[in-house]
Amino acid sequence: MRILDHLEEGLITFLIGAATLIIFAAVLHRYLSGLAIPGVQTWLLSLNFGWAQELCIIMFVWMAKFGAAYGVRTGIHVGVDVLINRLSAAMRNKFIVLGLLAGALFTGVISALGATFVWENGAHYAIYKAFGLSIEGLFEGPTTPDLEWPTWVVYAAIPIGSALMCFRFLQVTVSFVRTGELPHHDHGHVDGLDEEDPAVPGQLDQVFRMNDDLHPRIGDEEKKP
Amino acid sequence: QAPIVIKFSHVVANDTPKGKAADFFAKRAAELTGGKVKVEVYANSTLYKDKEEMEALQLGAVQMLAPSLAKFGPLGAKEFEVFDLPFIFDNYEELHKVTQGPVGKMLLGKLEGRGIKGLAFWDNGFKSFSANKPLKSLDDFKGQKLRIQSSKVLESQMRALGALPQVMAFSEVYQALQTGVVDGTENPHSNLYTQKMHEVQKHVTLSDHGYLGYAVITNKKFWDGLPADVRGKLEQAMTESTAYANRIAKEENDAALEKVKASGKSQVHALSVAERQAMKKALVKVHQEMASRIGQETLNAVYKETGFDPSKL
Amino acid sequence: MSTAIIFGLLVVLMLTGMPISISLGLTVLSFLFAFTQVPIESVALKLFTGIEKFEIMAIPFFILAGNFLTHGGVAKRMIRFATSMVGHWHGGLGLGGVLACALFAAVSGSSPATVVAIGSILLPAMVKAGFPNRFGAGVITTSGALGILIPPSIVMVMYSVSTNTSVGALFMAGVVPGLLLAFFLGFTTWYRAKKFNYPRQPKATWAERGKALRESIWGLLLIVIVMGGIYSGMFTPTEAAAMSAVWAFITAVFIYKDMGLKDVPKVLLSSANMSAMLLYIITNAVLFSFLMTHENIPQQMADAMIGTGVGMIGFLIIANILLLIAGNFMEPSSIVLILAPILFPIAMKLGIDPVHFGIIMVVNMEVGMCHPPVGLNLYVASGITKMGITELTIATWPWLLTMLVFLVLVTYWPALSLALPRALGMVV
Ligand code: NA
Ligand code: NA
Repeated sequence: MRILDHLEEGLITFLIGAATLIIFAAVLHRYLSGLAIPGVQTWLLSLNFGWAQELCIIMFVWMAKFGAAYGVRTGIHVGVDVLINRLSAAMRNKFIVLGLLAGALFTGVISALGATFVWENGAHYAIYKAFGLSIEGLFEGPTTPDLEWPTWVVYAAIPIGSALMCFRFLQVTVSFVRTGELPHHDHGHVDGLDEEDPAVPGQLDQVFRMNDDLHPRIGDEEKKP
Repeated sequence: QAPIVIKFSHVVANDTPKGKAADFFAKRAAELTGGKVKVEVYANSTLYKDKEEMEALQLGAVQMLAPSLAKFGPLGAKEFEVFDLPFIFDNYEELHKVTQGPVGKMLLGKLEGRGIKGLAFWDNGFKSFSANKPLKSLDDFKGQKLRIQSSKVLESQMRALGALPQVMAFSEVYQALQTGVVDGTENPHSNLYTQKMHEVQKHVTLSDHGYLGYAVITNKKFWDGLPADVRGKLEQAMTESTAYANRIAKEENDAALEKVKASGKSQVHALSVAERQAMKKALVKVHQEMASRIGQETLNAVYKETGFDPSKL
Repeated sequence: MSTAIIFGLLVVLMLTGMPISISLGLTVLSFLFAFTQVPIESVALKLFTGIEKFEIMAIPFFILAGNFLTHGGVAKRMIRFATSMVGHWHGGLGLGGVLACALFAAVSGSSPATVVAIGSILLPAMVKAGFPNRFGAGVITTSGALGILIPPSIVMVMYSVSTNTSVGALFMAGVVPGLLLAFFLGFTTWYRAKKFNYPRQPKATWAERGKALRESIWGLLLIVIVMGGIYSGMFTPTEAAAMSAVWAFITAVFIYKDMGLKDVPKVLLSSANMSAMLLYIITNAVLFSFLMTHENIPQQMADAMIGTGVGMIGFLIIANILLLIAGNFMEPSSIVLILAPILFPIAMKLGIDPVHFGIIMVVNMEVGMCHPPVGLNLYVASGITKMGITELTIATWPWLLTMLVFLVLVTYWPALSLALPRALGMVV
């Protein structure tokens, strides 16, 4: 389980970082190629960054699908809980479980649909072909326009990512039923960000928890013990 | 009895030649079948976007599309990339010999293995280069950042000219030209004019170097499942629509060029016979480079139809 | 009929408290399954292609840049600079806060991020200097809203994506209203501080100001990089977002050294976490708008609305009210993605400029973020100040009122938004 967690975190960390660097390089390349520096220009023109945008999109879509699963674990997905917060604790807990199971249902269905889609869109052909089975009546799936990767490989993010997300929803449900605790994205928590007390490299942890806060869990404040 | 519904989805505005032709088809299909068929046209990618419409068609979520011919390469029908080759057709006559003749039929047939039935080719038109300087000789192209749509052929074409191809979504092009992210692009005149690109480009060179067109396609299973009489009527409606589409595409391209000239916002240059010949000669290597992708057979079939002879350049 | 089923289902699912993205997705899935012939696999396809657009990629880039800026010491240097400039006037630190929020807004794409970056440093300082807690909270909660009006802006990217409006033009259109709102909020701050005689800072010397400017210049340069880069044609708005992420990283790690290289993976991970959540909402909202198009809902609503004979002014009032109400229940990205496809076609039919309408939506979102019961900025500020929402609401009212006046101004004075992009040739 720890390995899966690390894999998930490592993958999305890598994807966002690498995608940024790729676009940076592509922009730099385009800008420098426009400068008439003898020799250098010819060399730069010979380099091909036509695939950069497409790769960036693919990396971000993968990041989005696996990050969404990670987000279930960190409690970042927002809901409207103004109404259920007015209910008794017991009722509210029922709704929370319902919400979590709805998440598991949706992602589970999407995972199955996505798997069917990927299978029919080239995976069937590719896998049967790889094992030397009959590919009679099957067709080879499309490729991406720039990198010319089979789209079924790219689209595989949907079934795999959704399956992982489904698993995370179930995991959170089980732990909620057992302990009554939900993963919580703490949005208001700010320590150590004081003018006289600058953040210390390597001790970012506390600063970090207040991070982002784009989308707090609505109604958190009222229900704080 | 409820009519058979055909969802016809496309990615351009209603008032473009393709949009008008789609609406024309919808009208004729209803008339000819006596209301047995209802064609619902979804313009402007409202239903499915450029990148997903093919899959949607294969799934049967839409019944009819008219994607640009460059979209068939990624689908696996690389033969269609022949249409993107620079200077493959010198004029409409040569073009229609292919699109409306046996070679066109052969090409559409290649789609059947993928669950798609090709019905017709619709023209958009021949492309011109635009930039902030006249692009007439190879020296003019050197180092220019030119926008293309995703296509190996167009990429190779721009590289053969010494330019730097930039893949960019159509929706971003105007602003990229305006701010100078890219220096120029290639377009049929109607696109140039309707997207107002001539306002942010100083020069347009009438090169007619390449062709932009569409194929009208439908889901094969759906098509084969139609009652024979209905299918016949729809084929007739399609034939009429193709004639209509090609006629208005030509008219609108010509009119757009006149409007570009009249606007005074960009200067329009013709290519001399010698200049065009020189550009053609420089670009014929693109045909050779791409022959292995497209298939020498397809290339030769088109050459034969149009009388193109690379050795005579 | 299908309109009622779809929206009824959505509202019921949302009220159970499940994530908004899941309620959107489940609504689409169950409606398509029960009432239509659409092959259900196309839902899976849409979940990939829904965000398969390069323009959307600006969102993770901007979030990443914002995180580097917040944790890399850029915010605190901006505050020092802002305070050195305006701190000696009435409401000193408060005015500094408005200015710092405006500066930070010009490098960050999100409002709550602006509240956090500026508020978490400035609020404790204000309390120490003798300002009432309420005053500081009011200033920061509302000024933080500048984050989505002054470019760059994640909400503008969302609007651009769902309506095909040029994001570069939207960015430029946000500049003048953003500065004007900053001025308005500053004025309210100054007025109230004068009225209640709140403390002022000692006037900084020009040497001190120069020093503060020099120290904050690396962060401020980002404004030049993003806006200058887009306008001069170095890069597209999306690429500008990537460039600003790289620049913020270099500034944080190598220039200010407030962060070590080993902190970088954490920043990346938390940015990815936030981006993924937003992208997941986007995919599901795209799915939802596909369902609406499929059922012809935007068209029907447009016809119904036009049929009632409301003119442009009437429609804009309805749009304002609808958006403010929506702002009470959802966060901006979902609102834009769900309501833009419905409101936009009507706005177009009534001859409203698409860029101007985008700015109207953004300002509505800003106000919505600051008013109860649900307002992101309120919640973030409540976390920082440890004040309850009710107390905070009372604290923010003078500025909230200012924002409402500003909203009316932006809504009915198109030139305010459009003059700059027009002058730059980005809007015709
Ligand atoms: Na901003
Ligand atoms: Na609100």
